[in-house]
Amino acid sequence: MLSLPAKIRSKEQSRKKGAADKLSPQEEVRTLTGQSLFLVPAAFTFVFFLISFLPRVQSNDVIVLSFWLATSVLALWLVVLFMRSKRTGAAKIFILAKPRPQHYLQAMVHLSVYTYWGWYWPPVQEHALLLIAQIFFAYAFDILLAWTRRENYLLGFGPFPIIFSTNLFMWFRDDWFYLQFLMIAVGFMGKEFVRWNRDGKSTHIFNPSAFTLGLFSLLLILTNSTDITWGPQIASTLSLAPGIYTYLFLAGLVVMYFFSITLVSASAAAVLFGLSALYYSLTGVPYFLDSEIPTAVFLGLHLLVTDPSTSPRTPPGKLIFGILYGLGVFALYTILSSFGAPTFYDKLLCVPLLNLSVQWIDRAVQSLRDKPALERIGLGVVPSRRANLGHMAVWIVFFATMTLIGKTDGRHVGDSLPFWENACAEDRIHGCDRLLLLESTYCSDNSGWACNELGAHYAEGRIISADPDRASTYFARACELRIQAGCLNLLDPSTVSHTDPRSFDLRLLLRQGGQNLMDLPEDELYQRACEHGWQFACHNTVSAL
Amino acid sequence: MGYFSVIKVGLTALRAASVFASVGIACVVALEVLITSALAQQPDSTASISSGKSVGFLADNFYLPNDSMLGFVEVPAGTFQMGSNPLIDPMAFENERWSEARRQGAVDLPPFYISRYEVTVAQFSAFVEATGYRADPMSIQGAPDHPVSYVSWTDALAYARWLELQLKESVQAPTVMRELLQGGWRLTLPDEAQWEKAARGTDGRIYPWGNQPRKDRANYSGATTTAVGSFNCPECVYGLSDMSGNVWEWTRSPYQSLPFDPNDDRESLSEEALWVMRGGAFSDAENNARSAVRGAADPGARRPFIGFRLVISRQ
Repeated sequence: MLSLPAKIRSKEQSRKKGAADKLSPQEEVRTLTGQSLFLVPAAFTFVFFLISFLPRVQSNDVIVLSFWLATSVLALWLVVLFMRSKRTGAAKIFILAKPRPQHYLQAMVHLSVYTYWGWYWPPVQEHALLLIAQIFFAYAFDILLAWTRRENYLLGFGPFPIIFSTNLFMWFRDDWFYLQFLMIAVGFMGKEFVRWNRDGKSTHIFNPSAFTLGLFSLLLILTNSTDITWGPQIASTLSLAPGIYTYLFLAGLVVMYFFSITLVSASAAAVLFGLSALYYSLTGVPYFLDSEIPTAVFLGLHLLVTDPSTSPRTPPGKLIFGILYGLGVFALYTILSSFGAPTFYDKLLCVPLLNLSVQWIDRAVQSLRDKPALERIGLGVVPSRRANLGHMAVWIVFFATMTLIGKTDGRHVGDSLPFWENACAEDRIHGCDRLLLLESTYCSDNSGWACNELGAHYAEGRIISADPDRASTYFARACELRIQAGCLNLLDPSTVSHTDPRSFDLRLLLRQGGQNLMDLPEDELYQRACEHGWQFACHNTVSAL
Repeated sequence: MGYFSVIKVGLTALRAASVFASVGIACVVALEVLITSALAQQPDSTASISSGKSVGFLADNFYLPNDSMLGFVEVPAGTFQMGSNPLIDPMAFENERWSEARRQGAVDLPPFYISRYEVTVAQFSAFVEATGYRADPMSIQGAPDHPVSYVSWTDALAYARWLELQLKESVQAPTVMRELLQGGWRLTLPDEAQWEKAARGTDGRIYPWGNQPRKDRANYSGATTTAVGSFNCPECVYGLSDMSGNVWEWTRSPYQSLPFDPNDDRESLSEEALWVMRGGAFSDAENNARSAVRGAADPGARRPFIGFRLVISRQ
């Protein structure tokens, strides 16, 4: 074995230090050394490559090429590292430490959310294999990245929560799947390269998944290319799982108990509930379109913003962090909609900014040291498990109250299109904008009735500037979807005809996020429509009886 | 050779390849520009197309026929008998009956103009090219002088609307036509009464040429479309071509039972839309080539056997 020149050795030692910093001094560790360790990333790469021959991957040429491109990059990287290691004689090291609960417990909670949600939304099941493939890719990438910068790699469950939490908020459509691997790679690079010194230890600044999600969100907004992802569908289909708020609440309790992040989640939720209620009482319309807190935001405040490594350590810091997250999401929702950008990015964009502020928050709250009043309510700067349990109890009571008054899993007024028709007619704030938005969404989903209504708005020019060309386009679409009124309006837009939604339209209009109502019996459909404020449907229900 | 040298050689090769590729792409682009401009400068040999009857279609007038009314023929005002009498026409279908009490009914129509030929692929392509309209790609892939097909009812209306606007403003449009359009007449689809009168005239004949089916007068019981105007029909009342066969023709009438009501059907809005088409297609037998036959289709249907022709009428 060749000996290293002194200069290189000291550089290598200083690099090794970076990895050792990740371990607490009392942690028992074992190490594995040798050139044969290269077989591990090689095995991950090989399995990843093998997955590309499974039918799910083979079903789309772009995914296959994405896999092969990623495999080529990993294989080339591996060969270069191996040759360099052979040439310098510097063996690579695996550090084996006790598995970290923030990795495996978070991953288990993520997995349980996937299972429950995927039970009700089949695309999750179709994505499962690609999720597994990303884990193999992530391990190979992370090991190679670590070995490029130093000799050792801390082998554990770290990549699991990164992959799981990234995919819980966004994944790319099949034709763009190579960007998924890029997104994962950016997340790991952010963890490796964007670091700071916190409490004397080198640590990553950003939550890796939130960092890459934030970055890609920004790019997707700027390039107006959200439709290449499943992001909007992911955000809206979580609510397909019955009682999803209660489920996320229960899953969140596990995370709160083990990682003492109750103050972060609970304060964010309380701010959002509070602001939503305030907005509703002032304007008479809900702030968020179809819920008090969108389900994806509720998921985010439990599982995205709560990474212990990138959130404040002191209880008052956590409280401020959560409040800022709630305010950030609330503000971003309006900012994004005012720019015409998809609003589901609200929960993703503010996390990296908040991650940047944690040291400042922790420093700022140091002035609260020795405040007995705060310590009595568990908000002293020194964390305590007992205080966390107290906060959990308060959060449980708060959530139960919200549930009892129908602010979580109950039906939401914003789900009902007649509500927005009335809000628009009464000129309530955003009433007409939301009505147009909803009708536009339903028209894209092939509701001919919604297309005809949209065409009527553009023909009449009452709630939006008259635009005969757009009116014709929407009438033509309604007509092709066999709405007689749409055809007649297309022939003569000067006399606009309206009609009630057909049962096919109702099956689209009453989905509440994406439930499949195509096989719902007609009487139940009309019953449901009546409950949503469609008066003609109440009449149909009575007739049926 | 160390692996750094290997990488160095690899990178040099990569650079050379990218330069080579860039030059290649530039050559292809230049070639495409040259070909495009050369085609654009060619003498106007393809600008006018001709049908089997040697009728000129002018490229600079939206590929409309080269005559004084751009292919529109006047149908004078007057009454005609609409619907079928099974005593005269044993092939009549039930939906051609005027009412429970009567087999046929008299319909009085003001004058209108109807296009001699079905709208062609060339004419429809000009519209698609000019507007970027999202048509079914199949609709513009046929021979230029064949009737356009794979067009929905809404496509047909979009074309009519566009052409009306063009002719209203075009200095090349005949003055009479321009004045009609500027005076409130509309270029649109015929309603089914207009269509039937234009097809059979006022003497109650079963086919546009008489009471007997004639394979030499129209393209039916065939395999595919033919160029518009391919069949000579001296007996046809207004000199129109292909009123039987070739392609079914969309009308502006919603499908409902006779008697014919010129007003639109705003009373039955809850019913699913279905629109009348007339004339039968190349693939139909002689019973569907009769002038009184009433077909119907989804307004969104785009089929190889459905096309349309236009009218100019006072709305």
